[in-house]
Amino acid sequence: MGETRSVFWGLSRAEIVVWYGLIVVSTAIFAVGVAMLVSKYRAGRREPLRDLGQRALRMLHIVFSHTWIRRRDRVAGLGHAMVFYGFLVLFAGTTILGIDTDITKPIFHTNFWTGPFYLAFKVALDLGGLFLLAGLVLLGANRWIRRVPRLDYRRPDRAQGEYDRGLYRAGDVVFVTTLFTLAITGFFLEGTWLAVTHPSFADWSFVGWVLMELFRSAGFTGHAAELSHHVIWWVHGVAAEAFVASIPFTKAVHMLAAPANVALRDTDAGKRLVALPADAEPDQVGYSLVTDLLRHQLLSLDACTKCGKCTDACPAAAAGYPLSPRDLILDLREAAEATLGAHSFLRAAGAPGLDREVLGTTIRAETLWSCTQCMACVEICPVGIEHVPIINQFRRQLVERGELEPMLQSSFETLFKAGNSFGEPKRKRGRWTDGLDFEVKDIRKEPAELLWFVGDYASFDPRSQRVSQALATVLHHAGVDFGILRDGERSAGCDVRRAGEEGLYATLAEANIAAINACDFERVFSSDPHSFHTLKNEYPAFGGDWNVVHHSELLLELVESGRLIPRRRLGYRATYHDPCMLGRYNGVFEAPRRLLAAIGVDLVEMPRNRDNSLCCGAGGGRIWMKEQRAEGSRRTSEQRIDEATALGRLDYFVVACPKDVTMYSDAIKTSGHEGEIELREITELVLESLGIPGGSESEVAETRAGR
Amino acid sequence: MKTVVCVKQVAALGDEVEIDDSGRDVDHDYLESSLNEWDVFALEEALRLKESLDGQDGHEVVVVTVGDEECEQALRRCLAMGADRAIRVEAGGIDESDPLTTARRLAGIIGREVPDLVLCGVQSSDAVQAATGVMLAELAGLPRVAVVTSVHYDATSAKAQVHRELEGGLLDEVEVGMPALLTIQTGINEPRYANLRAIKQANAKEIEVVNVPSEGPRAYTVRKMFVPEKGDGAEMLGSDAAVVAARIAEIVRARLS
Repeated sequence: MGETRSVFWGLSRAEIVVWYGLIVVSTAIFAVGVAMLVSKYRAGRREPLRDLGQRALRMLHIVFSHTWIRRRDRVAGLGHAMVFYGFLVLFAGTTILGIDTDITKPIFHTNFWTGPFYLAFKVALDLGGLFLLAGLVLLGANRWIRRVPRLDYRRPDRAQGEYDRGLYRAGDVVFVTTLFTLAITGFFLEGTWLAVTHPSFADWSFVGWVLMELFRSAGFTGHAAELSHHVIWWVHGVAAEAFVASIPFTKAVHMLAAPANVALRDTDAGKRLVALPADAEPDQVGYSLVTDLLRHQLLSLDACTKCGKCTDACPAAAAGYPLSPRDLILDLREAAEATLGAHSFLRAAGAPGLDREVLGTTIRAETLWSCTQCMACVEICPVGIEHVPIINQFRRQLVERGELEPMLQSSFETLFKAGNSFGEPKRKRGRWTDGLDFEVKDIRKEPAELLWFVGDYASFDPRSQRVSQALATVLHHAGVDFGILRDGERSAGCDVRRAGEEGLYATLAEANIAAINACDFERVFSSDPHSFHTLKNEYPAFGGDWNVVHHSELLLELVESGRLIPRRRLGYRATYHDPCMLGRYNGVFEAPRRLLAAIGVDLVEMPRNRDNSLCCGAGGGRIWMKEQRAEGSRRTSEQRIDEATALGRLDYFVVACPKDVTMYSDAIKTSGHEGEIELREITELVLESLGIPGGSESEVAETRAGR
Repeated sequence: MKTVVCVKQVAALGDEVEIDDSGRDVDHDYLESSLNEWDVFALEEALRLKESLDGQDGHEVVVVTVGDEECEQALRRCLAMGADRAIRVEAGGIDESDPLTTARRLAGIIGREVPDLVLCGVQSSDAVQAATGVMLAELAGLPRVAVVTSVHYDATSAKAQVHRELEGGLLDEVEVGMPALLTIQTGINEPRYANLRAIKQANAKEIEVVNVPSEGPRAYTVRKMFVPEKGDGAEMLGSDAAVVAARIAEIVRARLS
């Protein structure tokens, strides 16, 4: 028999019996806890689960690569990776030891925890322990010394004193302290054993060896060390068993729930909202009860580690609206736990009248209406929580009850009557083409290669009408064969759907699909990212399945194929704002940037760009609602202009969305940066680069003045 | 408790207007129709009353309109908001569109339904006469309170404490026993949204259509409808009230002849 040690070195037979008793107890508590969690999740709405193998692989990749966890906070990412891998090695070590001690030895009367394997094991475990400790120090420093703002528990959606996060704070301390104790006592266990037995292979356990040397040089050997070893053995053992038993009930639950949620989450969450069944009863429309959540959504509530990245990214929270995505999830978690979870079991089984209704009570209407559905929270969540579709479902029930934000209500009524949010007569939809010196085809009457879905803003808003005219001019110049639906077009309904009025969305979508399907064309493009998104991704479920592109993609295609030749290098210094619906929703980040490069615009990125772009505040139907921001707070659109002007002198703030044209034209004026920067829609710059009459900014201004 | 809410499908003018061939009405192609705004508040008040009494048997909100088939749109919107039942009384065209004739037809329904409470909007946004509701109260023999801005109903005494709006921002508080008729002012509540799902479901509901004869004199008959001709500009009338009034009367008489 080579190098090894006895697991129960120095323990009496009675103590060993007690130890196995503890294992049984802690494992039983763990198992009951997990069973309670599963029964809680099963109270949610059933959902089909497909591609389990693929889901598992994707989860393993995300969990082991830490790609989600390390985003936008490298320190936390590194710390977590060290804790994760350290813990994993130690956990694997304990499992191997358990197999050796309790399976192979009693059953096969053989040990494999010996010799070179034992020595390699020692090295690996010491490394794991070091990683765990270092990681914990890093994470603790991030939270308690560096005091990363997103980790404080301040709620932007509640007044001071209206909430208490003391338990969460305590939970963080307990979680970190337990893991720290486990790692430290493990090393001391090793050190004291080595100090007493002083085996020849001691230096393989390099951390334990250092401790041993310290102990021996201090004369801490023999009986004193042996006694210490005995005490530490129990501290380590009991801490480990307590930790195992506590996993389903504490912050540690994320070790189970987070990977499970990453596997089970809807990869299209928020991007493709789910249609209502035609025969749904009023109380089945959307969510009002905590049990209305899908099963994996109930699971996702427990996956939340309260890291605050969602609230940090949230434009509503940034402008002081009463919404914090993290606290919305935590409120739901508390409601689920109180009514369905372990706490409800403990509180005298089945105490009657536990209120599962959360809409209007725990989850306030003002919170739900604050959301712009910009997807920043879902996109950054390291454990794959689906805040946006959950908010959307609650909004659906508010709409079902007729409890709407007043301005939103009149906008819906206008949309229903007029088919557009401007309340303009249908026949005026194509009027913006009147200012052009060429005819734009009515695609309902004659076929064209491209069908241009213009959208409400680009059709009716005076500033965006100029952009539409610019785009028509550019396409005409390139000889592109395109047409529009004129009064056959309705609002695409993207924001109607995101505001929760699914019935109106379906009506609008069906009208548009019927109109488009009756036309003869090859591809669809839209100059409105909201229309682009819903046509491309959500109309297929309603019977409208076409090849849809955004105008920035189309323009890039024309430039790269040589059909559009930028004759003038513009040489402007500009920054570009990614629209949520184009960027985060559809991953179109590079087309507008390549287009700007092609026309000689020197692009200076804002700190928050691409997936981290800050919503202008107009999405999700917010553009139709009254502002709810807190006293003294700045609009997100104004904060964005602050961000752009902080980059130094820039000629233009470039956008690619009609709503951004409106929002940022206003924000430049109201933020106090008027005269420092100007807004241009990307098409206007493309037109200018062509060097054709009517294309340059001064000429556009002249035409404007002359009209 | 049964509440009858009388509603009207009103017309709104678009950008352009043309008078039809009869010369007595606007060409309907140029009109956009909707449920009268005041009636939306009246219905919301009825629905809230019903909800506040929830749990007791037999609460019903019935909506009634007088008009042609097109006016069923207004009733469907009411059903979508939560009305239990809808009745349309056939109308008699432009010659029978005056408030007295309409009130007589509505009175026929009140006589049949025997409600505890009748709510009407103060006025309609197209005719703006504020007459139908009060005439209906008289014909149905009900006490009435006009221009109501708040209703507190007490189920045990079957009485309501009601605020009615007076001139100059004054409020009058009165107590009224049921059955009674109230004409409801806008702003009394925040009407709920009738969502599209509910509207679609309301489209499948049946609307009862009845004929109620209206015999007797009319409040008025429409003789002519026209767009006033654009003059050469304003004619400034003198400052003495009597002279101005006489001059106005003269002008009106001349234009109508």
